[in-house]
Amino acid sequence: MKLLNKISNGSLLILLILLSHSSFSQGTEKGDVSIAINYFINNNQVSYLVVKVKTKVDGRFKNVDGVALKLFLDKDSAGTFIAKVVTNKKGEATTTIPPSVEKQWHSQVKHTFLASFDGDKKYGPAKADLTVAKAKILIDAASDKTITATVFEKKDATWVPVKGVDVVLAIRRTAADLPINDKPTFTTDSTGKASGEFKRDHIPGDAKGNITLVAKIVDNDQYGNLVIEKSVPWGAKFTSVSTFNKRTLFATRNKAPVWLLFVVYSILIAVWGILVILVFNLFKIKKLGKSVAN
Amino acid sequence: MDQENNSRRNFLLGGLLAAGAIAGCNTNKDVFESGIVGDVKPSGKKVKLLSVDGDVIEVDEAFLKPVPHMPPISNTEARKGIPGKKFVMVIDLSRCKNLKKCQEACNHAHELNPGENWIKVEPMKSAEFTAPYWEPTTCMHCDEPPCVKVCPVDATFKREDGIVAIDSDRCIGCRFCMAACPYSARVFNWSEPEIPAEIAAQPYSIETSIPQKKGTVSKCDFCADMTREGMLPHCVSACPNGVFAFGDINEDTVSNGAETFRFSDLIKDKAGYRLMEDLGTKPSVYYLPPVNRNFPYESGLENDKIQNK
Amino acid sequence: MNRGSKTIKYKTNNLNETTVENSILIAKEKIIVSLKPEKLNSADDDKIIDDLLPQKFGKAGKIWVGILLAFCMVGMFAYYRQLRYGLVVTSMRDYVSWGIYISNFVFFVAISLVGSLITAVFRLAGVKWGSPLTRIAEIIAVAAIIFASLIIIVDMGSPERFYNLFTHGRIQSPIIWDVIVITTYFFISILLLYYPLLPDIKILLRFKERSGVRLHKFYSFIGSFWKGTPEQFKLSDKAINILCVSIIPVAFTIHTVTSWLFATTYRPGWDSTNFGAYFIAGAFLVGAGAVVVAMYIFRKAYHLEKYITDNHFEKMGRVVVLLSLLYLYFNVNEFLTPFFKMKESEAAYLNGLFTGNFALVFWFAILAGMIVPILILLFKKGRKPLPVFIVGIMVVVGAWFKRYLIVTPTLLHPFLPMHDVPASYHHYFPSWEEWAITVGSLAGCMLIITLLARIFPIIPIQETLTEQHEIAEQNI
Repeated sequence: MKLLNKISNGSLLILLILLSHSSFSQGTEKGDVSIAINYFINNNQVSYLVVKVKTKVDGRFKNVDGVALKLFLDKDSAGTFIAKVVTNKKGEATTTIPPSVEKQWHSQVKHTFLASFDGDKKYGPAKADLTVAKAKILIDAASDKTITATVFEKKDATWVPVKGVDVVLAIRRTAADLPINDKPTFTTDSTGKASGEFKRDHIPGDAKGNITLVAKIVDNDQYGNLVIEKSVPWGAKFTSVSTFNKRTLFATRNKAPVWLLFVVYSILIAVWGILVILVFNLFKIKKLGKSVAN
Repeated sequence: MDQENNSRRNFLLGGLLAAGAIAGCNTNKDVFESGIVGDVKPSGKKVKLLSVDGDVIEVDEAFLKPVPHMPPISNTEARKGIPGKKFVMVIDLSRCKNLKKCQEACNHAHELNPGENWIKVEPMKSAEFTAPYWEPTTCMHCDEPPCVKVCPVDATFKREDGIVAIDSDRCIGCRFCMAACPYSARVFNWSEPEIPAEIAAQPYSIETSIPQKKGTVSKCDFCADMTREGMLPHCVSACPNGVFAFGDINEDTVSNGAETFRFSDLIKDKAGYRLMEDLGTKPSVYYLPPVNRNFPYESGLENDKIQNK
Repeated sequence: MNRGSKTIKYKTNNLNETTVENSILIAKEKIIVSLKPEKLNSADDDKIIDDLLPQKFGKAGKIWVGILLAFCMVGMFAYYRQLRYGLVVTSMRDYVSWGIYISNFVFFVAISLVGSLITAVFRLAGVKWGSPLTRIAEIIAVAAIIFASLIIIVDMGSPERFYNLFTHGRIQSPIIWDVIVITTYFFISILLLYYPLLPDIKILLRFKERSGVRLHKFYSFIGSFWKGTPEQFKLSDKAINILCVSIIPVAFTIHTVTSWLFATTYRPGWDSTNFGAYFIAGAFLVGAGAVVVAMYIFRKAYHLEKYITDNHFEKMGRVVVLLSLLYLYFNVNEFLTPFFKMKESEAAYLNGLFTGNFALVFWFAILAGMIVPILILLFKKGRKPLPVFIVGIMVVVGAWFKRYLIVTPTLLHPFLPMHDVPASYHHYFPSWEEWAITVGSLAGCMLIITLLARIFPIIPIQETLTEQHEIAEQNI
C-alpha cells in the first residue's frame, strides 16, 4: 500500500546522523520513528488528520505511543498551527482543523500538512508532510439501481469535475465495505462521474431493508481519503435471530433448560429430603437416649 | 494490510463525526451504528472546527472522541457480546502455503506464552491418494459449542455475536472444555506465562484475552476487541495470501482486507464446508476446498520444520 | 442387631444353606434384642468383645502408619511444587490434558462404590454372611470418596477458585452433577458408617482404660446418647434400611456421572453409550477386590480368623468371579464392536491399545484384572484366603491401569493431527510429581482406612453378639 506522506528524508537523515552521533557519544542510543499523515474528509463536511507513529524493533514495525507531535498547515508559524497531539497506544493521534487557520485555509486550494516531533528520551526528532488538493465527492442512486459518484476538484474558486480518479462504490458493512458488484473500483470520466450497477439484491439491510451506500476515494495521492454515504431501501428486511436468550445446554447458568432443572431439582429434593430426615432421626434417637438417662 | 485496516477504522470515525456534526444531512443514525458499536450520546459541550469549505462549524465534543477512548467494556457487556452481530470466518485452503504469519500475528497480539498457538496450521490429507494441503485451524466458535456445554462455572460462554469467549478470572482450570473440544482448539497455561510484567499486571479483558494467566484455559477469541471497533482480526490482516476472510453473517459479507466478498455467494460458488459437520457443533468457521491452488503443498514444508521437528 | 433370620448358624462352615427367602422379612418384622450390660456377662460375649475391640498399633502397625505418612508427605511436597509452579510440573500438556490424576479419581470413585455393594446390596438381598464385612466396606467407601474429591482438586489448574463451583455452578455441566453426587454420596456413606456404629460405641464406652481418655471422650461425644433401648433400635433399623435403599441409586449415579465426564465428549474411546454400565461393572469389581484385600489384611493383622472365616473368602471369591465375568462382558462390548468397524477416527486409538504403545498395559489390565481372576476363582481351591487375596490385588492393580487406559490413549488420538506444538506434547508419561501425588493419595486413603480401623471395631461387635445369641437361643 502506498503511503501518501513523504518523509523529508534528506534533512531528517542528516539530523538523525548528527543526533545519533551525539547521543552515542553520551552513551545512549535513540530509536528512529517514522511519521505518517493521513487526511480524511467525510460527507464533504468535516476533515481531519490521523497521524501514525511507528518504529522498527527487530525488523518489525511497532506503534509508538506517547509521542507529542506539532501539526501545522502549509508552514511552521503561529497563524498556521493546527494542533499539538499525543499518540495513543495504537500509535495514532487524530485532530480536526481548528477555526484559527481559517485564513490560511482560504488562501490556496492545495495544502501541505506538516507534522514535527522534537524527539524525547527514547526517540530522535522526526518530521513528515502531506500535500492534498481540495476535492469533494457526491453520490447519487438512481431508481434503476445505478449508483453514480461524481468527483470535483477546487480550481481557483470553482469546483471542476475530475477525470481518472478511482472510486469505490460499496455497501457499508462492519469489517469492510462490500463492493456493489464484482468490480472493485470505478474510474471517473471527463464529467467526473463513475457509475456502477447495484448487483447485491437481497443483501440484508436493517429492519426496514435500508442499506447505506458509500462512494469513496481511498488513499489518493492528490486528494487523500474522501467518503460519502447514502441510505437506500434496496436491502432485504433483516432482524437478527439469536439463540443467546434461549434456554439451552450451552447457555449460561441462569438459562439452563427447564427439563434439566426439573429433573435435577426433583432428584436433589428427594435424596436430600431423605438425608435430612435421617439426620433428624439421629436427633430423635439422641432425645430418646437422654430420656432413658434421666 | 495493517494500514488498510486502520484507515478503514478511521473512515468509521469520520462517519461518526459527520453524522453527529450536521444533523439532517443525507446520513441517518444507522450509519454509525453499522460501523462502531454502541451509541455515542451528545455531551452538550460544543467544539468549534473548520469544515472542508472553510466554514467554522460547531460539533458536540462526544462525536469527536476517537474510538480508542470509548469507555472500556464491562465484564457484563463483554459476556453479552455485540447485539445484532454474528461473526463468521472463511478460510480458503487453496491460498494457504503454511507461512504461519497468522499464527505469528495472533501470538503477538494476544501476548501468548511462547510455544502456545491459538492458530495451528496442520498438514492434512483426506485419503490415501488425495493431495495433501495446509489447513489453518482456529477456534470454530461453534453455535452449539461442546466446550461451553461442559464448563462448570460459566468461564467459557457463547456470546450473542457468536463468539465463544473465555473469562480467565473465572476459569478453575478443570480442562473439561479441552477434552470436549473435537477441534483441539484450546490451550492451557501450564506454567506462569512468560509475558512482560506490565502486561501481566493488567486486569484481564475478555475481549482481548490479555493477560494470560497460569492455570487457566485460553483459545482464539476472534479478536473480539477488534471486531467491536469494526476492524478485522489480526490473523486476517496478517495473512499476505488472503487465506482468512472475516465478517458478519447478518450482513452477508466477509473480507480478507484486500477483497470483500458476499458470504453467501462465496460459500456457494466455491463449495464451502465446515469441519466435522457430522458432530453437530455448527461451527462459525467455513472452509473453501483446496482446489486450483495458488501454491504447491511442498512450499510450506520448510516453514513447518521450525515448530515440528 | 437382629436381621430377623432364625436359620443362620454363625461360625459354621456350611453357610451355603443360608436362605434368602426371608429377605422380605427384614424390613417388616424385627425382633429387637435389647442388650443390657448385665446380659453380656457370659464368657463367650466377653471373648467376642475382647477379640473385636479396636487394638492399639503394634510395631508392624506403627511402621505401616509411618510408611503411609512418609508417602503422604512426599505427595504433599509434590503438590506444594505443583501449586507453586503450576501444572507444568506434571507431564500433562494440551493434548493429554488429563492424566493419572483423573485416572486415579475414577479409580477412587470406583472403589467407593463397594460400600453400597457389600452393605446395601447384601443387606437388602438378605445375604447374612456378608454382615462381618459391612464395616470394612463402609470404611473403604468413606476413605475412597474423600480422596476422590481431594484428587479432583489436585487436578484443577486454579484450585484457589474452587468456590466458583458453588458461586457460579452451571447445572448443565456434568462436572457440577459430579460435585453434587460426590457430596451426596460422601454424606450418605458417613451416615451408613455412623448408624450401625452406634451400638458398638456403647460397648466401646465401657472400656475406658483400653481406649484411653481421648478416644473415650471422642466415643462419648459421637455416641453417648445411644442407650440401646428398643425404641432407639427401631428408629436406627428403619434409618439403616432407608439408607440401604437410597445409597444404591446414589452409588450408581456417582459412577455413571463420572463415566459421563468422558462419554459426553466426542473423543474416540469415550464416545460410547456403554460407558455408564461399563464403569459401574468395573467399579463393583474393583470394590469387591479391595474388600477381599482388606479382609485378608485385617484378618491377619488382628487375628480375626474366627470372624472372617475361610467361608467368607469362598463367598467373596464367588462374588468376584461373577463381577469379573460381568466386567469382561462389558469390555467385550466396549472393544469388539469398534474393532469390528475400525472407524477412521478410532482406528489409531484401537490399534494403539491392541498392538501399539499401550498394548502391554491393555493386555495386562485385561488379563490380570479379569481373565486370570476368573480362571483362579472358578476352582474351589482358588477360593481359599490366600489365592483370593492375590486375586484381589490383581483385580485392584489391573483396575488402576484400566483407568489409566480409559483416560490417556484417547487424548493422544485427537481428531485433528497434533501439530504446531512442542515435541513433548505428543507423548505422556507421568512426572515424578504426578506419581508422588498419586501414590500419596493412595497412601492417604489407606491411612484413613487404617486409622478408622484403629478407632472403630472393624467387625460390628453388636451385630456379632446378636447373631451369637440367636444361635444360642436356637440351640436351646
